[in-house]
Amino acid sequence: MEDKEIENMLSAYHIKPDETWVMKVMQLNMDCIEKIQTQKARAKLKPLVTIKIIAVILGIVWVLFLSMLVYYSLTLSKIFFVVSAGFNIIITTIAIIVYIKHIVLIGQINSSESITGTQEKLAKLQLSTLNVARILFLTLPFYTTWYINKDMFANGSTGIWIFQICMTLLFTYFAIWLYRNISYKNANKKWFRILFNSSEWTSVTKAMEFLKEINDFKKES
Amino acid sequence: MINPAGKEEFLKMIQDNMGIIFKICNSYCRNKNDREDLAQDIIYHLWKSGNSFNNDHKFSTWMYRVALNVAISFYRKEKKESNIISLQEHHAHIEENNQGLNEDAEKSKLLQQFINELKELDRALMILYLEAKTYAEISEILGITETNVATKISRIKNRLKEKISNR
Repeated sequence: MEDKEIENMLSAYHIKPDETWVMKVMQLNMDCIEKIQTQKARAKLKPLVTIKIIAVILGIVWVLFLSMLVYYSLTLSKIFFVVSAGFNIIITTIAIIVYIKHIVLIGQINSSESITGTQEKLAKLQLSTLNVARILFLTLPFYTTWYINKDMFANGSTGIWIFQICMTLLFTYFAIWLYRNISYKNANKKWFRILFNSSEWTSVTKAMEFLKEINDFKKES
Repeated sequence: MINPAGKEEFLKMIQDNMGIIFKICNSYCRNKNDREDLAQDIIYHLWKSGNSFNNDHKFSTWMYRVALNVAISFYRKEKKESNIISLQEHHAHIEENNQGLNEDAEKSKLLQQFINELKELDRALMILYLEAKTYAEISEILGITETNVATKISRIKNRLKEKISNR
């Protein structure tokens, strides 16, 4: 087929609006459309926002609980517990702030911005769950240190200490590695699919694929 | 949101540009009920975003932005479900209409099918191109550079050429 034929075919392409369909849609008055769509929007947004609000509340309860424990443990003998719980509090607080930021963002999505801009924001919003998980993985090593106390220093065998150090180093390595590598860029890697395979992550992985598509679309090559 | 006094004026503008909504709904949903749902969704979002429109831009450019954003989000949410229905509808539609089609109508149908098979963003690009929008307008609506618009259109045309030649 010649280029000219393609051009002719494209320029001759016209879809005539189906009058019956147009009339049917326009028959609904604005008040009615407004009412239906507000209900729909609420129904669609509710689960998304509700999950995030529940996560924020649980996060705050967890932070308050840990803060209380830290407050009553402020002694030199419990230094490992205080430091571990302290880091846990800091990381969880960061995750809570990220979630709150995303709840605010949901209300700020503007459909009249450019297509790639708006769609990128929407996809990133869906990915927020992944970013929070990524941050929370950083608490991993502190679950291997909070129980260290002066008895362990006084009576712990070399074997126990070697095991303890190895576990902490391993968890630290994994936490940092996961933090650096959990990204939509690695969505097709096997380890990523194993880690985020459950159905609750489907929308997140779909958003990742779409974000990749948007980035490819924006690339000039 | 537009003030209540502007409702009639707003509806008039929508009615004048209903063709845009029809074409977008037609390209992003093949199921009749979905098309109506999407049209209402688009009208609602246009109404809700009314204040973001300023006279520095063409009304149609602003309308395309809102309508395509809503359509792409709608398509991504409903994709799984609508694909199942659309395939059945699509086959029925082809059988029903295959008889008595002249060559131009057949080409037009083939082109519509080709557009519907494109990825969401490429589809938006082609809708705008077929509406004879300038590269500058397309780049403004999509948020990509004019050079990128030209490159992508040329690639899509080549794919279309290949598809037609292989038939």
